[in-house]
This record gives sequence, structure tokens and C-alpha cells, in this order.
Amino acid sequence: MSTAEFGQGRGLGQDRPLADGAGTTHRAGIIDYLTTTDHKQIGLLYVFTGLAFFIISGALSLLMRAELTMPGLQFMDEATYNQLFTMHGTGMIFFFASPVVFGFANYFIPLQIGAPDVAFPRLNALTYWLALAGGLTAFSGFLTGGAAAFGWTGYVPLSDATYSPGSGANLWIIGLALSGTSGILGAVNFVTTIFTMRAPGMTMFRMPVFTWNMLVTSLLIMLTFPVLTAALAMLFIDRTFGAHFFDPAAGGSAILWQHLFWFFGHPEVYILILPFFGIVTEIIPVFSGKPIFGYRGFVFATMLIGVLSYSVWAHHMFTTGVVSNLFFAVTSLMIAIPTGVKFFNWIATMWRGRLRFDTPMLFCIGFLFMFLIGGLTGPFLASPAIDYAVHDTYYVVAHFHYVLFGGSVFAAFAGLYFWLPKMTGRLMDERLGKLHFWLVFVGINLTFFPMHVLGLEGMPRRIADYPASQGDWTMLNIVISVGSAILVLGILAFAWNVVRCIFLGRGRISGDDPWGGYSLEWATSSPPPHHNFRAIPPIRSERPVFDARHPTTPVRVKPAAVGEGLTDG
Amino acid sequence: MPPLRRSPRSLAIKGLPAVLVVLAGCTSRPVTVEADQVHSLYDIFLIAAAIVFVVVAGLIGWSIVRYRSRGSTDLPVQTRTNLALELIWWALPTALVIGLFIVSAQVLGQVDRTADPTVNVRVESFQWQWRFTYAKQNVVITGAPGNPPELVLPTDERIGLELVTDDVIHAFFVPRFLVKRDLVPGITNHLDLTINAEGTYSGQCAEFCGLLHDRMLFTVRAVSPAEFNAWLAAQPKSAGTQP
Repeated sequence: MSTAEFGQGRGLGQDRPLADGAGTTHRAGIIDYLTTTDHKQIGLLYVFTGLAFFIISGALSLLMRAELTMPGLQFMDEATYNQLFTMHGTGMIFFFASPVVFGFANYFIPLQIGAPDVAFPRLNALTYWLALAGGLTAFSGFLTGGAAAFGWTGYVPLSDATYSPGSGANLWIIGLALSGTSGILGAVNFVTTIFTMRAPGMTMFRMPVFTWNMLVTSLLIMLTFPVLTAALAMLFIDRTFGAHFFDPAAGGSAILWQHLFWFFGHPEVYILILPFFGIVTEIIPVFSGKPIFGYRGFVFATMLIGVLSYSVWAHHMFTTGVVSNLFFAVTSLMIAIPTGVKFFNWIATMWRGRLRFDTPMLFCIGFLFMFLIGGLTGPFLASPAIDYAVHDTYYVVAHFHYVLFGGSVFAAFAGLYFWLPKMTGRLMDERLGKLHFWLVFVGINLTFFPMHVLGLEGMPRRIADYPASQGDWTMLNIVISVGSAILVLGILAFAWNVVRCIFLGRGRISGDDPWGGYSLEWATSSPPPHHNFRAIPPIRSERPVFDARHPTTPVRVKPAAVGEGLTDG
Repeated sequence: MPPLRRSPRSLAIKGLPAVLVVLAGCTSRPVTVEADQVHSLYDIFLIAAAIVFVVVAGLIGWSIVRYRSRGSTDLPVQTRTNLALELIWWALPTALVIGLFIVSAQVLGQVDRTADPTVNVRVESFQWQWRFTYAKQNVVITGAPGNPPELVLPTDERIGLELVTDDVIHAFFVPRFLVKRDLVPGITNHLDLTINAEGTYSGQCAEFCGLLHDRMLFTVRAVSPAEFNAWLAAQPKSAGTQP
């Protein structure tokens, strides 16, 4: 690659300072983004598409909170409410969390392994556009006189043509099928990239933990998304062409849907958390000034979670009376072991470190506390007798919001504060970032902690209204709605931070390596040039940039089998 | 490295363990023999969770306070791993999980037991109401919109519920029984229980079942066996449409 070509790299419409200071600047236009096959631009498209769906799906939940604050129906009828919670769940799971994961993965897998792009750039572009089409299709139900209204789990027979007529349900099925197809193609791309495009010296056990976790996540996607897509196809055929896959009256099985859905659905939970474990595990060592403690053990725990996640699906079906509850209790409780072990890795990494509390680290600390609470309510639900009491109540809602909001979303925020400077060349504002953190931290606990109590007191999920006579349900719901308002203020602080620093370009110039990073993405400019690297430092451990910065600190890793030294990018 | 703002402030997370303890009192007070066991099991899990929370949150909190950078730029010791430590922290959660599984399995055996009920009631769900059938006595109670049905049951007798649905999936849920069971098309489910306290308990459908799911309520009135028999005898007989 000649030096002249270095000027062609594209950022988010920002001036793009280069590592060698010799580059020109280029402002990427709309046509560039519509036609791009560049993994970094596709990554940005994914991240910001995901954030847009986060805002939309979050707005739906606020409408629900408004309705639930007091008993009685004040703002909407059940028909509307049922669409809101269905599309809130669908939007957050399929069109916020997954695209944000794919965005980070797209942008940083090639950078972290020292590759110029992903293995199949055009397939990558197709993957993004399928995902966007899926989201728009599912949400377009609102324009047709009613979006899907059977919960994001779409249980039959409620989701069949008899009980959910109308195009909203069909659009939901097609939207999810598009998103599922997109996921499969994206996973194939990541696995191929990781197996075949690592830079010389980048052995498997020198890969950054985020890339490792994305590899396991991609393998999970490849094995579970086809099951979802097949189930959706069966449902579509039942609805449209009168088949009877799920109709017990004609020899089908209503429970079959639940098996297929959760065989996808529970690994999906790990698909939505493992990448974020990876992000947290990138950030905590950097801000502790130490390497990750027990790198191999951590990677092994990730693999174990991946394997076990295939054997736990029916813990969502304990109350159906038709699964072996004891078997699924064993497997579900077992998955607490590798998950718990990760906490010790994170703590031991911070132990005797020098902790800096910039916003990315602050969100990681928040993640640790929130995911700890969400993780600790997991075993309760894995014990069938306790699950009989709290299944389908607000206890479960509290549990998965601590895991997915306190866990995944906190880690996503950490990742955005950590990596957006690399992606755009601009730092986010630290004071707004800290305001964002504290508002969200207080808001999330005020919103989701009382839901444990509501659930233990027997309030079922997915109800638009509840009797005023039910003890302190009203009081708790008022507290929850106040909490969600505080949460909104935090999200607004974040949105303003992104607009101000990134889109209006008023953030400070980040430079190549604002945090003292470890992995290869910090060895190139911010944003990186087209095809990423001009030169790559020698890779002798999982943190080559740290090694280059501290040449006298011994690397306690045996010499690489393949060639080392400066490598042309 | 460019100078970045450092926050020496630590995160003081104080109230959370106390809140966990408050949760112990929050389960609905159990009113069946089986629910008493579930409640005890819940307490065991809560104690285990509280201990883990205090230890782990304490270690995180200690790290934050003790090891925060005080402006020092020296490189800390680059510790990578310690095999003994790692083996210990794999063993600890493993032991805990085995213990939790054993107590879970014991209670599950008790709760799932279905044998020799003395009172049998057929619970039938449909969008969005319930029908309770006492087949032997030919008594049928059906709910209507705005008028939720009442399921009358005797205390201190083993009750066998037979759960079926006419349309979509519903779930029979009485919070004070600490149990729910789904009613699934094509499947007949069973739920046995023994009520040990007289009273009126609210119940409702817990599996989302369509438009008016939130209004699919019922109540359970638990009375003494003598009162129960008197009540049954006083009910109008159904016109023999029931099997």
C-alpha cells in the first residue's frame, strides 16, 4: 500500500488525522455509506441503526410505564398495550442489541487481529441491509392497523391465523426471518475472518478477548439462528397456507414452537451477553494498568458457556408440565459456574492495579454490580419449584432487565465511550459521560429493583392493567415509573454527548490511543485508514500495543512459531 | 499518553445488601403445604445469593477504593495468572451449585407429586375466562366478563386440579400458592395441592393469552371441609352437559 492511498480512509464525516500526519482529509457522503463494503463504515451503520432502534423501543416502554403507573386504563386500551410490549421486546432483542453487537464486531474484529477487512466484504454489506430491512419490516406493522401483539416469544396458537389475523403478525415473522438470515451470514463472515485473516504472530491464544468472545458468539449464531428461521417459516406456512405444524387438533404440536423458539432463544441470551463480556474484558485491564487475569481460563469459561447454552432452553418451559424439569435444572444451574468465574477474573484484574475511572471504566464498574444482581437471580429461576412461583411475573422482568440493561447495555455504553473515539477521531465529553452514568445507574435500580418485589407479590408480566385492590402494587409501580423518568434523563445526556462531540464535531481530538490501549486497534490512526494498518507492531502476547509501549516489561509468553517483526498492512 | 481527567471518587454501594434482606419478606405468604416448602427453598437460595453478593460486591468495592490510581503513573505488577487461585474459584461456585441442586430436587419432588387427591376439580381456560367443574357433583362455575369466577376449595384435603384449555395457552396462577401451571392445547396438565389456611386468594392467568389477558381474573375461597361440602350441595346442578 502506498502512502498516497492513506488519504482515502473514511470516518464519520470528520476530519481524519493520520498517525503519520501525512494524510489528506475526506468527508464520507451518503452515497459512500449506501454503497460501502468497508467493514468500518458498515460497523458504524450497524451501531447507529442499533441506537436508533434503542430509542424507538425505549419510547415504547415509556408509553407502557405511563399506562402502568396507576391502576385503570388512562392512556390506551389493551390492544395498543399488547403491541407496545411485543415490539419493545422484539426491537430491543433483534434490532438494537444484535446490530450493536454486529457493529462492534464489524469494526473491531479486523482491527484486533490485524486484518484489512472482513473475509467477505460484499456479503457483509448484504448482512447489514438485510438487518435494517428486517427491523423496518417488523416495525412497519404499526402502519398497517396493528403491529404484532403476541409477545416477542410469539407463542402458538396465539400467533396463528385464527387468534392473530392481520398483516402485523406476518410482517413480524418476515422481519425476524430477515434479521435471522442476516445474523447467519454475518456469523459465517466473522468466523471465516477470525480463522483465516489473523496477522502473522496473532495465534489463537493471542487474540483479544473481545475477538474470542465474538468467535464463540458467531458459532452460537450459526447453530441457533437457522432453528429460529425454520420455526418462523413453519409458522408462516401455518398462517398463510393452512399447514398444521403447530395445531394439535390436526396432529401438530403447540409445544413444538416453544422448543424451537427457546432452542434459539436461550443461546440468543448468551449471544447478547458474551460480546459484552468481551467489551468489558477489553476495558477493565486497560483502566487497571494490568493484563486480564487468567486469560486462558476466561476463554475456556466463554467456550463452556457456549456449549452449555445449548442444553438449558427448556428452563423457560418448567411450568408447561411436559419437559424434564430436573434435567434442565441441572444444566441451567451449571451455567452459573463459568459465568461466576468471570467475576473473579475481572476482580483479580483490578486487584493491585492502578484504576482510572474515566467513563468507559465507570460503566464497566456499573456493569459488574448490575450484572451481579441479575446473575444472582438466575439460579432462583433455574430451580423449578421457585420458578413455578415467579415464572411470567415481574420477577422475571426484573431479572432479564438487570442482565440485559444492567449487563449488555451498560457494557455497550462502556464500549461506545471506549471505542467511538477510535471510530470517529473525537473523544466524548467526560462530564456529560459521568452525568449519563450516574443518572442511568440510579434510574435502572429505581426502575428494575422494585420489579423483584412486584413479581414476588404475584404481579404477572404483560398485563395492561391491574386491580387497585392489590396491596402495594400501585405504590411500587409509581416508584418504577419515576425511576424510568430518571433513566430517560440519563439517555438524553448520552444522546446529547454523541450529537455534540461526534456529529457536531465538538469533542476533543482523540489521537491514536487516548486510553493507553492494549490491542491492535490502538496501533493505527483514529479513525483508521482504508484497510486499517500501515504497519503492525510485533505480536508476542494478547496485548501487542502495550508491549510496544513498554519494551522492557518482560512478556511471559513463549516465542511465536510464525514470523514476527514489522508487518506491512 | 494525553492527560485524561481522573476521578478519584469511588462508588459507594451501600444500601444493596440491606435491600436483599428486605426481599425475604416479600414473597406472598404461602397458604399450601407445598408452598411452605417452596418458601423455605426460596429462603435458602436468598441466603446463598446474599452471601455471594456481599463477598463479590465487597471485593469489587475494595478494589475500587483501595486500588484507584492516585495520580501515580508507575506500572503495577503485571500479574497474569495463578493456577491455584483459579482452581479455587472454579471449585467454589461448583460446590454451591451442587448444594442448590440437591435442595431444589428434594422440594421439586414434593411439589410435583400427584397422587390420590380426595377432591377433584377440572379447570378449563378460554379467552378470557375460566370454568371450574366439580364432575362428581355435577357443579359448574363459569366466569363472565366483569364477574370473575370463584373456585371454592376445602382446606386440609388433597386437591387434584386437572388443567385444560379450549383455545390458546393460559396459565393457572394463585400467587399465595406459590405455583403456576400452564394450560396447553392438546395436553392435560395436573396440579395437586393441600391448602392449610382458610381465606380468599386472588388468582389470574399468567401466560399472555391475547387481548384481554389482564382481565382474566379469578378468586380462590378456601373453606373448612364441612363448609365446602355444604357449599357444593347448595349449588345448582349443571344440566348434565359435563362428562
